[in-house]
Amino acid sequence: MIKSLIVDGAYFLNTSKSYQKTKRYFYNILENDEYRYKKYFDIFMIILIFISVAILITEVKSKLSGSLLFFNIYVISIVFFTEYILRLWVNSSLSKIIIDQSEHDAMLDDDFNLSKALKDIIKVKMKYILSFKAMVDLLAILPFFHQLRLLRIFILFRVFKLFRYTKSIQTFSSVVTAKKFEFLTLFIFASIIIFVSSVLIYVMEANNESSPIDTLFDAFYWSIVTISTVGFGDITPVTQEGQVVAIFVIIAGIGVLAFTTSLIVTAFTEKLDEIKDLKLIDNISKMKEFYLICGYENLSKEVATRLIKNNKVIIIEENPIKAEQAKQDGFVSVNYNPGSISSYKKLRIDINTQVKSILCLSHSDVENVYTALTVRSISKDVFILSTLINKGNRRKLNFAGVNEIIYEKEIIGIVAKEFVAQPVAFEAIHALRSNNSNIDINEILITERVLQNYAMVSQLNNKKYRIVLLGIYKNSKKMFFFNPMDSTVLEVGDYLLIIGNNIFIKEFTLSLQKERS
Amino acid sequence: MSEENALIFGDNDYTAEINKNISKYYNNVHIFTLNEDKNVKNSFDLGDDWDDLSDKFDMKECSAFCILEDIAQNIFLTISLRDAFPDLNIIALAQDKETEDKLNLAGASRILPATQTTANVIVDMLDKPIVTEVFHNILYEKSLLKIAEIKIEDNTVFDGKYPSDIEWSRDHGVLVISVVHEDGSKDFIYSSKSKHHPVKSGDIFVLVGYEEDIKQFKRLIGTKCEN
Repeated sequence: MIKSLIVDGAYFLNTSKSYQKTKRYFYNILENDEYRYKKYFDIFMIILIFISVAILITEVKSKLSGSLLFFNIYVISIVFFTEYILRLWVNSSLSKIIIDQSEHDAMLDDDFNLSKALKDIIKVKMKYILSFKAMVDLLAILPFFHQLRLLRIFILFRVFKLFRYTKSIQTFSSVVTAKKFEFLTLFIFASIIIFVSSVLIYVMEANNESSPIDTLFDAFYWSIVTISTVGFGDITPVTQEGQVVAIFVIIAGIGVLAFTTSLIVTAFTEKLDEIKDLKLIDNISKMKEFYLICGYENLSKEVATRLIKNNKVIIIEENPIKAEQAKQDGFVSVNYNPGSISSYKKLRIDINTQVKSILCLSHSDVENVYTALTVRSISKDVFILSTLINKGNRRKLNFAGVNEIIYEKEIIGIVAKEFVAQPVAFEAIHALRSNNSNIDINEILITERVLQNYAMVSQLNNKKYRIVLLGIYKNSKKMFFFNPMDSTVLEVGDYLLIIGNNIFIKEFTLSLQKERS
Repeated sequence: MSEENALIFGDNDYTAEINKNISKYYNNVHIFTLNEDKNVKNSFDLGDDWDDLSDKFDMKECSAFCILEDIAQNIFLTISLRDAFPDLNIIALAQDKETEDKLNLAGASRILPATQTTANVIVDMLDKPIVTEVFHNILYEKSLLKIAEIKIEDNTVFDGKYPSDIEWSRDHGVLVISVVHEDGSKDFIYSSKSKHHPVKSGDIFVLVGYEEDIKQFKRLIGTKCEN
């Protein structure tokens, strides 16, 4: 009966939307670095930690008000305790363990083994409780028992809690962890030296009345101070034998220090690129509305240079030399294969929501087709533009789902024709496109706000701003109307195509937002 | 066109597209391939001997297109042609800005900047899709709209008027984008400079309009330019 109730309860919790939603929310806020609101929680906890430590320091020499002590002892501790319990809760799912066990037993035609499920639950929870981070969390709550004066020192464990909330500390610990074998070797070496030298100096000095080394602790303290090359000088050997020991300890100390320094430097050097990459990926995952250029060639450089003026651009290039070149050229570049789905997963790029357009600009149609297919398999809607190198591959790019194909040779053919047929017009269009003459051609979207002020072409004050209205693109009809009549009615979604001075275009665009005078 | 022959040096994908687009503006288009063996028909090498070419064509009536894909060879070809024919109209293909500068130094009359033009097209397509589509249709002749340059012969219509004061669209159904003055200076129609330049005979208008309106406008001002 009880067993059946437990299993039913587990299924209820596992399928309850509100329960799962609440648990997911707390998991995100506590553990998920990608969750946008987690940083606010982290900042809040960091502030609490610093307040707590500041109170501890102030309390040493002055008497604090009751409310402040109450805040420190109860409020902060209760917040930390709540956090501890929530972490324990979200760390693993009890209901899932019970369901797994029940289904396992049902499959074998056995009765539900409750004790096995409970054992698993205890095992999982204890594993978390005994983890370093959870231990620190627990010790940080202990100052709650303020009456025990010794326990106040545990407030310092609250500082260790910073490990949870600051990434740079996590990075440092990951760097150190990467070299744990070397550090262990160093630790064993230093321990042996300290042990041997402590015993030696004790043997040599303890019976000498003029020596400050009386106890084994004095000897141990002296060894640590000497081997670390700090050398306070408060305890020094006075016998010749003791001094010989000191010489050896000093020489060993130089070795230990040099070894430690080189270890940390090497670990950081080795991890530097990885750390930079992680930081970059973190930044990319937070970016919105960017262009993703796949492949870094001359054309990619030119396109990125132009796009970056008003947009965010990321270059993804498989070749490390080219990816590095893109970085040196001042672009955000990542060395990943654009044709692999795992690249986008590793980079935490959500193509559907983050990417404005994908530009396949590699010098190889094979790579462009491959990349387009990969992207299309992730997102059906994202706009894909690709260059075409060999004319015969146009259909393949179309099949791969490319929305716009750019064939450079065709463009050059058109440019050659314009130049041969109408050199003056060619120059004019070239100047308009290159935007070097302060004269630009632009498109302005008609919004609800614009429409409230300007309903017809005749009402537009483009002439005041010396702007040529080339025409209107009617979105409803998907047609361009050149040189529209004064009576043409504007609609939301229409685009005005205008030519004029850059500054006047800006002023004209602003004027459309204001009420007509 | 004043030139009778287009001489395209280099046979590649660019050549095919250029040939397709320019052939109607020349009496003949000749394509030459790079080959050390001069006995091969329609071939050339990068040497100094261009006598065969000058014997065959009146070089003053020709336009040369240097379309070799090897950048260094294309620059060398351009400099060789300029050295042999100082007055020849040379149009050269450039892949990037650096090549463009070198080709200018080598004596090319005009440059076809491949990468830059393509980059401009891509960026315009993304930033200004409507503008790009409209211009694309005009340039590809998929639209009834045309872009034309018209030289003013009879200035009695616009005597003393400034380009920005004329109601081009209302009165003539065309939109003038820029004006090239007789002295070679260029103004966009609504730039501040155009306020100081009244319309004169010999000015060239670059305008956009429907074919019929452009023809009527031509009749009005008696142009010699061709569409």
